[in-house]
Amino acid sequence: MAQGLSIQAACAKTGLMNRTSRSAPTGAKAWLAQQGAIGKRAARPLVLIGLLSVILAAGQAWCAATLLAMVLDLDHGPMIWPALAFGVIAMARAVLFYVGEDLTFATGAAQRSRLRLDAMRRLLEAGPALLRTAHSAELAAVVVDRIETVDGFFARWMPAATIATFGPVILLILVAWLDWTAALVFLATAAMVPVAMALSGIGAGRAAAKQFDAMTRLQTRFLDRMRGIATIVLNGRTEDEAGRLLQAATELRLRTMRVLRVAFLSSVALDCAAAVALVVLAIRAGRQFAEGTLHSPVTALFLLLLVPEFFAPLRSFSAAYQDQFQAKSAADQLSALPPLPAPEPLRAVRTVEANGIAVAFETVGLTWDPARGPALSGVSFRVAAGETLVLAGPSGSGKSSIIEILLGFVRPSEGRVTINGADIAELVPAAHARLVAWIGQRPVLFAGTIRDNIRFARPEASASEIDDAARFARLDGFAEDLPQGLDTIVGEGGFGLSGGQAQRVAIARAALKNAPLLLLDEPTAHLDPVTEAEVLDSLRRLTLGRTVILATHSAAAHAWNTSWGGRRLDLRAGSVVQTRGAA
Amino acid sequence: MRSLLAVASHSRGQGSYLLAGLLITLSGTLVGIALSGSAGAVLAGTGAMLAAPILLRALGPVRVVLRYFERLTTHDALFRAQADLRVWFFRGLAARMAGGLGMQRAGDVLARLVGDVEAQDVVYMRIMLPLAAAVTLLPLLMILLWRESAGLALCVGAQLVLAALVLPGLAARASLSSGSRLARAMAGLRISALDALTGLREVRAFGAEGRMLEDVRAHEAELIAAQRHVARRGALAAALAAICAQSAILAALVAGRGLGVAAVALVFLVIAAFDAVSLLPRAGVQAGQAAAAAKRVIDAASGPIPLPDPASPAALPDGAGLRFEGVSFRWLPDRALVFDGLNLDIPAGSRVAILGPSGAGKSSLAALALRLAAPERGCVRLGGVDIAELAATDLRARIGWLHQATYLFDDSIRANLLLARPGASDAELWAALEQARIADMVRDLPDGLEARVGEGGRRFSGGQGRRLALARALLSDARILILDEPCAGLDAEIEQQFLSTLNDAGDGRTIILIAHRLTGVERLDRIYRLAGGVAVAAAG
Repeated sequence: MAQGLSIQAACAKTGLMNRTSRSAPTGAKAWLAQQGAIGKRAARPLVLIGLLSVILAAGQAWCAATLLAMVLDLDHGPMIWPALAFGVIAMARAVLFYVGEDLTFATGAAQRSRLRLDAMRRLLEAGPALLRTAHSAELAAVVVDRIETVDGFFARWMPAATIATFGPVILLILVAWLDWTAALVFLATAAMVPVAMALSGIGAGRAAAKQFDAMTRLQTRFLDRMRGIATIVLNGRTEDEAGRLLQAATELRLRTMRVLRVAFLSSVALDCAAAVALVVLAIRAGRQFAEGTLHSPVTALFLLLLVPEFFAPLRSFSAAYQDQFQAKSAADQLSALPPLPAPEPLRAVRTVEANGIAVAFETVGLTWDPARGPALSGVSFRVAAGETLVLAGPSGSGKSSIIEILLGFVRPSEGRVTINGADIAELVPAAHARLVAWIGQRPVLFAGTIRDNIRFARPEASASEIDDAARFARLDGFAEDLPQGLDTIVGEGGFGLSGGQAQRVAIARAALKNAPLLLLDEPTAHLDPVTEAEVLDSLRRLTLGRTVILATHSAAAHAWNTSWGGRRLDLRAGSVVQTRGAA
Repeated sequence: MRSLLAVASHSRGQGSYLLAGLLITLSGTLVGIALSGSAGAVLAGTGAMLAAPILLRALGPVRVVLRYFERLTTHDALFRAQADLRVWFFRGLAARMAGGLGMQRAGDVLARLVGDVEAQDVVYMRIMLPLAAAVTLLPLLMILLWRESAGLALCVGAQLVLAALVLPGLAARASLSSGSRLARAMAGLRISALDALTGLREVRAFGAEGRMLEDVRAHEAELIAAQRHVARRGALAAALAAICAQSAILAALVAGRGLGVAAVALVFLVIAAFDAVSLLPRAGVQAGQAAAAAKRVIDAASGPIPLPDPASPAALPDGAGLRFEGVSFRWLPDRALVFDGLNLDIPAGSRVAILGPSGAGKSSLAALALRLAAPERGCVRLGGVDIAELAATDLRARIGWLHQATYLFDDSIRANLLLARPGASDAELWAALEQARIADMVRDLPDGLEARVGEGGRRFSGGQGRRLALARALLSDARILILDEPCAGLDAEIEQQFLSTLNDAGDGRTIILIAHRLTGVERLDRIYRLAGGVAVAAAG
């Protein structure tokens, strides 16, 4: 359960989760019970169709039995009526089948859609802190593949469970009315099924969960390797990685086979039961026929033909058996997703003042991972509206943690952070996001045009606003050399753009967003000095009239800051060691 | 459909498993038919009175056991074939992506590896196996029926051909386009989810949660629409097949009058035969889908290899000197020339700095040396041999490259380092970490070398990640090291320390330092400046 664990760990570490399926399996159980109740309601029309189809099947079997009796010269009536009825019922069953299939799909799709929306909402709500311990491919596997695996639970298992109870009962009543000893045969063989299935079901849930984990490991590893494929090829490690992929794929095969062995075993139980019923009834009828005690050959034939129809609902039930285990192992993960916060009471956003943004840290501490010690401890400072503060220190000194707190990626473990006097923890996320613009070390660029990537900051921006932002970030000069200008497509992660150009896209985003608080996290860390100087020039213009917090260790940025007369906070190992400049 | 065959040909390695699955399936089908026949015979009270019940009792369990092993064997064979296909896919990608993913999206490539490979299961499980059963059954059934009634044989045979061959074929043809739509939609959803989740930081900072959610929803709606289309087609095909089966049974019943007891056995035979092929029409729909998926797999992992190895590569020369001779180069035909007659000599064992502003072609130089790109004119020689004549793997084993896009994998520090030299001892790992000035940081981690670096190395700061990548480059036993801006993102102090370590770390290696400026501590043999598409020797 590597994946379940790491997502849970991600949630637990960031204080985003109040229950885990590990420490409290009731979370998963409650989830399953709740989904079961929803599924039961959604399955009602399918149950109706299923039962109707069982009754039609019995009718058709009767027609077939009548026809067979005529073939055997046991009945001398005209064939036309039973043949006609047989044909009509066959057509009706085909139509009913088609409608049922369509409805089955719609039921599963609706439930998948509901669950996916919920999962995606929760992940987006929990935010970037998740990425510290979980790989984005793991999270995507939950949203995409995990949700797909619960389709069968709603579309097949829920209706099949009900039909498997009532369908055979309806037929059993019919059989008992015709021939009560035959009914006993049906009952006895059917009773074998749940026992065998329960026996084979032990451990099936765990096997299903392990199988999905193996799948996720394969996916996560592969996605990660794809992103760094050049590094693998250039190091000559293609064959090693191919070997590991084979290993992961083989593990997946073994895990899947373990699930299937169990699933097939329950279908073996069914095959056995049906075969026993068939053989017993056939031999009994044969003996009665030989002894001349067979009163109604049509009934005897009908009972034989009814055997497959009697076991059909049980067969669907058994086929859907593993869907239930898929849902059980999905429950572990889906119930462990960070919960959505209670809906905010409608109250005014207390923070946005027109005259700029002041920020204060009051003895703030932050621990990402207890084993690695605190990332911040006892950090206090104030930044007045319109002021610039430089956070200086070597890598790992806590600069990025301060920026991440201000971005709302993580909440401080101790102390208080305020924006214009309001505790940052009480800010509505949407309002918070409006206040800050951020330029990090490596902006994430999405596959698409440069223009789309700028527009990401404010989707409703007009074309001319985007052009202005591009000009502001000095992207226009570079874009003119491109065949399609700003409409040139860049690859995932900014392929096709240099580090400096990617950083300019980030500046253009910030300019387009036009937020009062600007957070800069080593924005020039990966740039050469000439590019850095140019980027800094654009940044300097961006800072005008804004409150700025800049994390850096670059000499150029210090010089820039010195020339601007801002303050400087020196950090070492998560603590403030020196404050320079006017308070 | 050609791509289906191409994909299937990669499963040849598992031929014996696949064949075993096929044989068990066929015997299971035959036993099933025999079982039904004898059940009919018992019913009809024929002369086989004595034998039939015994046969029935024996065949029942055999059938059950065979079915179990049939399912296990066929699934196991299938998963073996899928594992092989995935590995083949990865090798194909690796051969074509030495320069990185480029415009391809990781999520899309992943969708091909996972979903599209999985979609191939229908080919074996639901098409080849039942089709083989159908082909075996058809003549058998025809012979048995023909002996009783030629008309009935023709009627039932026609229905069987319709259900087992014609309907599936039509369904496959009709679903080819909806299948490719489905594969695209699945990839679209995966990409959309990955965009939102990989970019969680950007999404939060720009308050884009609502938009990302909408995007995922839109892609999901497209997926569901595509799935529904395929599901409906499948249901329709299955319903039509059921009608075929029922009318064949009805025909057998009606025509049976007058044939007496034998007719009953025939009816049961017909039921069993149609049962064996009942899933084929639906599989036809899935075949269209599988063909579309197979095309996506083949497209990504085959096709021309950029800059392929020569047919008979020259032996790797001993030397570790690089020489650019009259090289002209541009990335794309419609872009400007990066180099125009570049001449550059880097003798074995020398330390050379190549300086120049952004855009002067410093990274292009490395790409040319590693044959990630080829010159328009001129050539690059390694130890006197044109690198176009060498095998790329040999060439790349000789040259180590550290650059901006050097990737840290979501694995332990140890695993990331070992990538450069598998089998390196702990002492060697620590030595490389020392040289990169990151050993102290690693030592302070509770897990030390086993500490995981996180997605894209994000558990460490930019500077720390950079030094880990540096340690990896230093660990490699490549005799030429190209260090492209190795100090970008490092503090001035650490930069100085690193560069002075580098002065002693050469051990005879050729070191090419690509930088925008020098700090003064580097000990260098030559310095070149790139400008205007050529290299100019500069004074140290």
